[in-house]
Amino acid sequence: MRLILPIVLAAVTVVLIAVALTSANATGKTVGISAGSSFLTPKPTTPDQALSNLLLNAKRRNWDEAFNSVSNAQSPNKKSFIQDWTGSYGSLRAFSALEGYDIRPLHITNDEAQMRVRLHWTTPVGPIEDVRDFRLAREGEIWKTVWPKSDMPIVPSQVIPVTYLRWDLVSGGSDDEWGAKNIDAPRVRIVSMNPLDFAEGAVVLGEVVNEDTIPAFVNVTATLVDGSGNAIDEETSFDKIDHILLPKQVTPYRIDFPKVKFKDVKNVRMNIKATLVPASADPVIGVMNQKVDPDYQGKAVLRGDLFNESGQTVNIPHVIASLYDNNGKVLWVADGYVERALLPQTSAPFSIEIPKNMASKVQNFHVVVNQYSMGRN
Amino acid sequence: MDPTDYVERSDRTVVDVAHPYARPVPLLAIVLLALAIHGPLLLMQLPAGSYDANFHMFFASHYAQHWFDPWNVKWFAGFSQTTYPPLTHQWIALFSYVVGLKMAYMLVQLIAILLLPVGVYRFARIWVSDREASYAAIGSIFLGALAGLVYQAGQLATVASVALYLNALPYLYDWMTKSSVRSLIKGIVLGLTAAAAHHVTLIFGVVLFAGPVLWTAIVDAYDGRASGSVGGVIARGAIFAVAVGAGVGLVLAPYWLALIQHPIHQIPIPHDSRNNFLLNSATAINYFLIPYGALLLALPFIFYKGASSRRLIPLLMGFWLTMIFGLGGTTPLPKWLLGRAFEVLTFERFTFWATLLAMPLVGILAAELIDRFHLKAAVGLALAAVATFGAALYWLSANPFKPQMSTDIAPVTAFLNRDGHDAYRYVALGFGSDLARVSNGTVANSVDGDYNSARLLPEMTNYGSAQLTNSKFYGSAGMASLRAMLEHANRYGLKYIFVHDPYYEPLLTFVGWRKIEVFDNGAITAWSKDDVPPAHPIESDAKPSAFQGLMWGILPVGFSFLAILLEIILPETRRVQTANRVPVRAEHSVASI
Repeated sequence: MRLILPIVLAAVTVVLIAVALTSANATGKTVGISAGSSFLTPKPTTPDQALSNLLLNAKRRNWDEAFNSVSNAQSPNKKSFIQDWTGSYGSLRAFSALEGYDIRPLHITNDEAQMRVRLHWTTPVGPIEDVRDFRLAREGEIWKTVWPKSDMPIVPSQVIPVTYLRWDLVSGGSDDEWGAKNIDAPRVRIVSMNPLDFAEGAVVLGEVVNEDTIPAFVNVTATLVDGSGNAIDEETSFDKIDHILLPKQVTPYRIDFPKVKFKDVKNVRMNIKATLVPASADPVIGVMNQKVDPDYQGKAVLRGDLFNESGQTVNIPHVIASLYDNNGKVLWVADGYVERALLPQTSAPFSIEIPKNMASKVQNFHVVVNQYSMGRN
Repeated sequence: MDPTDYVERSDRTVVDVAHPYARPVPLLAIVLLALAIHGPLLLMQLPAGSYDANFHMFFASHYAQHWFDPWNVKWFAGFSQTTYPPLTHQWIALFSYVVGLKMAYMLVQLIAILLLPVGVYRFARIWVSDREASYAAIGSIFLGALAGLVYQAGQLATVASVALYLNALPYLYDWMTKSSVRSLIKGIVLGLTAAAAHHVTLIFGVVLFAGPVLWTAIVDAYDGRASGSVGGVIARGAIFAVAVGAGVGLVLAPYWLALIQHPIHQIPIPHDSRNNFLLNSATAINYFLIPYGALLLALPFIFYKGASSRRLIPLLMGFWLTMIFGLGGTTPLPKWLLGRAFEVLTFERFTFWATLLAMPLVGILAAELIDRFHLKAAVGLALAAVATFGAALYWLSANPFKPQMSTDIAPVTAFLNRDGHDAYRYVALGFGSDLARVSNGTVANSVDGDYNSARLLPEMTNYGSAQLTNSKFYGSAGMASLRAMLEHANRYGLKYIFVHDPYYEPLLTFVGWRKIEVFDNGAITAWSKDDVPPAHPIESDAKPSAFQGLMWGILPVGFSFLAILLEIILPETRRVQTANRVPVRAEHSVASI
């Protein structure tokens, strides 16, 4: 017993550890930090394993080990490799963390492989999925990922005069928090409202215009009312609106009601709240080359390019689009965030997914760009 | 030297009874050593920066102001403090009237730490001699797991409860083996006091701590070392269990009622202690290497010695099972045995318990080493203990899990307390455990909070994340929870958001919040939304009745007073010193039975 029991306990412990390691959901993920390395990293003898090792190390921000998984053939710069993952200039990618990934082989030969990866990022504005194709090459017994050269825009030195309008607001004192309570609120109006059932819930969407000559901070609230006059649910436009409207500017809005269907709704009460706020027309972001195209999966997407006409970096652009039918009615309001920062006088592509059942009806669209710029919001 | 001065020990070691190391270390000296080690650290308020210290002080602050009303409106738009056993918080509340909240916390933590070696000493004596038990008690002062729980995690209730529980178990053993009614009464009262400090410790302690004690008592009865039969021991154990079970049902009745009314159905919140340590070096160091420290070197001896005696096998099995639990997701056993509870519990406490269960065997190891190598062994063991404790303290600043540095929250609380801002609710993002400090400093209420089990708002329970203040650390689930809360800002009167991490600024910008003030040279910013109506009370069926509040305010702390009283009026009878003799209990090898 003196020896048998310790041996039995040790053996059971080893077996249990082995079972945990071979189980499907064995994870080494951490909460709150992206650190630590695995004691048991499998040798990358297959393209799938090689890419898994790279992605796992990228997820944990073990850049040395991640860079070791990259093929030397293209001699990528380690700094740019890291920047590809961590973003730059305060872009949305710079705020993001890789949360998961799904790997799918596209083409594999003895020496080369093409893999498609769906990358799941967590960001401050919600989860974002990114589909990326990777090429892998065999080097002896192991596989490595061929990392493409990054194409970061280079901005030349230049002077850009600022001639755009700006509205300042002199507050009455410390009692005023923001907005001016002793000045009439800007005149804003809901120009269209379209309620519809969508997926698992109901949606109210349309457009709002600032009819005043001063900027307005707007928020749209919709209350669904049943047959007996009771409120079923109340939601706001949240981030599906450009909250700051310059004079005469129009913004789309969309209000989602998850788990509610319009068959239970008798009435929709709309409420728009507008407040006078300081605002600036700068930075001006131009929208170019807009068109509806199918993506790699055959889904319809609205594509285009954003061009930053100002002299300041826009860290996170947010694109909101009204999609119209042939009668000019707002069919849908879609939005998407751009992962790359918009440097001065540079452009970046955007794409917004259009729901499948809407794609064929879309005849026109109107795109507005909201933005977050560090230190200015 | 007179040959009678030598006593044969376990057929291998010769003990020199005249040697100064052959005597047990007096318990008072051990307690003073614990005071000398932990006292200065607590005076420095080192645990104030731990994860949970502010949470405990927040609960205590509420008891200090509303002793008989456990409904606290400051978090989660209202929650019941009956969801967490109150004893340590109530003691902090009592001391806070004299020394203030923070020092009261340190004082209660110190009491728990001082009770721990006493408990280990008494618990170890079930199996080993007084001398070996004294070494076990000394070892418990320097445990890396203890340092981690006290100074990093701030698990005051866990430490206090296990210290009380270890003190209760020898009474259970004495009651089962000697039919001592005095032990029965004191054991029950101490057990209930331990339960009033921390329910989880008691629930798992039944299996992991009391199980080996019961098993050992049965072995002793079988071998004729206990009064009465095996059946008698089991029957007395059952009487004890029923009495404690009924008592816990009564003392923590509001807790059980709250749990029955609102079972924990929330989406599981990830915790690193549930991970497979082999797949992440940081978790392996934090949850295995640091807590065990030099104890890892003793593992072969623990298994060998534990298996060498029929009396020690229950202890070994208890240690092994607890150690396996402490490994979290490194083995599938905890998940198999606990089911969904695996996703609710955290497992660092199991490692702490495992180290405590190992202590009696470590006491034997220390005694054998000292018998053989005298001063060299004493120095070596002391260095190993200090290195273990020192490494755990070093890890406080070196580990990637460390809580953030303390934030200057004064401008935040000042803002909330002026100009009627407290008419609205608030959220503090990026404040970590300082959220509780903000809550303590203001009369304004928040929809956030730092106690997962009390959350009932669907914006929080529907997502696999914990506090809103730490949303980003829970990835997409955390941010989805925060978005859900911001979407319903008007519903909860949530008007103010304080940001101590620029990570959250893009979201606030895009969803319609505006920066209104900057504090601490830009380290903290205040954001507001214009159209939010003043907060109104949120109706909840979780509000305990006035009678429950009365029970909650009287019974838990009342039993702790009763336990103290019983220790005074029914002191433990002094045991005959057995340092120079081989303890009957420990030296029956399997081969000889």
